[in-house]
Amino acid sequence: MLSANEIRKVVAERTAHQKGTGKRVVDVREEMERLEERGELVIHRIRPENRPVEASTLFGWTKRIPTDRLWHHKSCGQCGNIPGYPSSLLWLMNETGRSYLNEPHQTSCTAWNYHGTATSNPVALAAVAARNFHRAYETGHFPLIHCGTSFGDYKEMRKLLVENTEVRHKVREVLRKMDRDLVLPEEIVHYSEWVHAMTPEILARQRYPVKGIIATVHEPCHYYKMVPEDAVYDDAIYAGQRPAVPSGILMALGATVADYSTWYDCCGFGFRHILSEREFSRSFANLRKIRPMVEEAHADVAITSDTGCVTTLDKSQWIGKAHGLSYLLPVLADVQFAALALGAHPYKIAQVHWHSSSTEGLLTKMGIDWRTAKEEFQEYLRALKAGATPELLHPAHGEIETFFAVNKGQVLPEASGPAPTSASASAPAAVPAVGGPAK
Amino acid sequence: MSIVARLPRRTLSLTEEEEAAPPTMELTGRRRMTAEERGTAATIFQEFRADRRHREFVVGCLNCGECTTGCPAARFYDFSPREMLQIAQNGDATTLWDAMQEKIWACCQCYTCNMRCRFGNDIAGIISVMRELSVSHGLESTRRTLAPFGRSLTLLMTVGTQVASDMIQPDFFRDWGPFATGSDKVWQVSAEVMRKAIPSDVLQTTRSSWEVSVQTSLELFRIYEETGVLDMLRGLDPDLTEMLIDIIEERREEFVEARERFQDQLAGQTGPVTTFSG
Ligand code: SF4
Ligand code: SF4
Repeated sequence: MLSANEIRKVVAERTAHQKGTGKRVVDVREEMERLEERGELVIHRIRPENRPVEASTLFGWTKRIPTDRLWHHKSCGQCGNIPGYPSSLLWLMNETGRSYLNEPHQTSCTAWNYHGTATSNPVALAAVAARNFHRAYETGHFPLIHCGTSFGDYKEMRKLLVENTEVRHKVREVLRKMDRDLVLPEEIVHYSEWVHAMTPEILARQRYPVKGIIATVHEPCHYYKMVPEDAVYDDAIYAGQRPAVPSGILMALGATVADYSTWYDCCGFGFRHILSEREFSRSFANLRKIRPMVEEAHADVAITSDTGCVTTLDKSQWIGKAHGLSYLLPVLADVQFAALALGAHPYKIAQVHWHSSSTEGLLTKMGIDWRTAKEEFQEYLRALKAGATPELLHPAHGEIETFFAVNKGQVLPEASGPAPTSASASAPAAVPAVGGPAK
Repeated sequence: MSIVARLPRRTLSLTEEEEAAPPTMELTGRRRMTAEERGTAATIFQEFRADRRHREFVVGCLNCGECTTGCPAARFYDFSPREMLQIAQNGDATTLWDAMQEKIWACCQCYTCNMRCRFGNDIAGIISVMRELSVSHGLESTRRTLAPFGRSLTLLMTVGTQVASDMIQPDFFRDWGPFATGSDKVWQVSAEVMRKAIPSDVLQTTRSSWEVSVQTSLELFRIYEETGVLDMLRGLDPDLTEMLIDIIEERREEFVEARERFQDQLAGQTGPVTTFSG
């Protein structure tokens, strides 16, 4: 179940059932164009300096993946628990010469909270999405979404803002109170799609062959079960029957991606459950995910591409010992695995020490000298403790940014029309006003 | 002879106390609703049916059970997405009230049911609508369910990231093992030093997932004020809501002071950074 053919079949059957309800699968991007013409929103377009690469989605629609000048939309869970996930991504961008902003002027999508405690509502979620979109837009950098849930939520919110006039007008009214207006990105892009688009450049820098490593992939639910038409599929990966990310990069690097019977199950995160009902999360993660991965596929590592999934699959295993489940299968995000294969420092960059299930056996199998790296890291920690300046992947922000979301020499895209020829930053400029009221 | 036949035969009768105060459980095992609860249940039912999402999310049901077959929560809880959808479609105020006491909170919001449903029901979505109503009506069962989320909600409302590395305390997350916190015990340095070893300045804080600027957190709070989220939260936890308002008031003052302090650097700026007043 849940192969692309089956999903398309379900969608076709839905359409038959829903005749007369007005619901159908539409390409929301076409409606965005119409709304932009009416002055109801601005499309944040992917421009030449974003160096886009084309990919294909569930229905064969083309999705353009920007690879440069990106605005990092971080994930609250990854930054709290698995910081090696964002730092590996930033490191890969530095290695491949991509520019980006990693700012303190972003909130999370707040959907963890919504799906966990329901102390929000769709208008608030849409306004939060739109505020982040506008901030990315005013810096001239295209948003890159780190989290599976943020990706799913933003796809839903973009659809809601396009399809529901009342919500759209309310959100615009709220945004105006902070001198912002409605900007929707041409594409909602998940970071694993960036990895997919960058595959040739990543392979060109590969240092450690990973042939012989058996990886099992957990596909994050919110990547492809929410607004499924936006997920990237590729005929060369699982014959186009499962999402192409994050499996594609593992196969390209030379790992064996092994199948297991419960690949489409969720990880057990549950939003609320991972904090206050972990009996469920760990039972589900161990019995429905880790056990099949190890016993059916003999995995060396589980790879996924969402915050909650890495957390749940990794942190749930240690307690399994109490029930005789002593798997301790390493769990990494695709970017951590890719960065390690390119020679990233396992502790300083991939930050593997935050993971509960030890990764050191995997590192040995990859040919990485983790013992020396660990000594270096311990030395680095001692230096930090003594007051040394931390090593950073990008310049630190100034004190003013603790308070203000300042202009940064941003290149501001036009509402429509030709793209500028230069990718260099220019002097600050005002955001073009979104047109007048709806006609 | 079966084991049942060997059990002693006993005749049970009601005690005097039981005669005087009849049980408050109905035969189904459900607690009898008070008149006030029946009133709230009726209001919730009306609001639920009037929500535009009810029309959009509940399309129909084949009773095929595909949703429940793939549901992770159904494996471990007395819960079924098919039941939730059918209550949404055909239930009354009492069945809806019943589902809202506990069952709705079993759902993981994984969207597997939506993906499997040939009718195109948004089952995960309609469960969220039920949850929203249980929050805004401040149901006692919801208060109990969400009681452990005080810190998480505070972070969410004030900085917009619902976790922080300092929440992962060994005592509370013992089941995650000794390495879960990038542990100072293992590495012999404090949690602050461990965060400093992350190579991005915005990620080095221990108090939220990343550092969030004051302007950003005030803009977020404005969204909550304008979209009814603060009112929802007030229904659930008035004390927490007042505390949040106090935190934000302090932050607003800080923001106004900072505008004076940084006025020279802000002079050439344009857009929201110059116009947003908190
Ligand atoms: S979204 Fe909820 S009801 Fe649907 S399959 Fe997942 S856990 Fe079950
Ligand atoms: S999958 Fe859809 S149609 Fe089938 S039982 Fe569930 S809600 Fe009803």
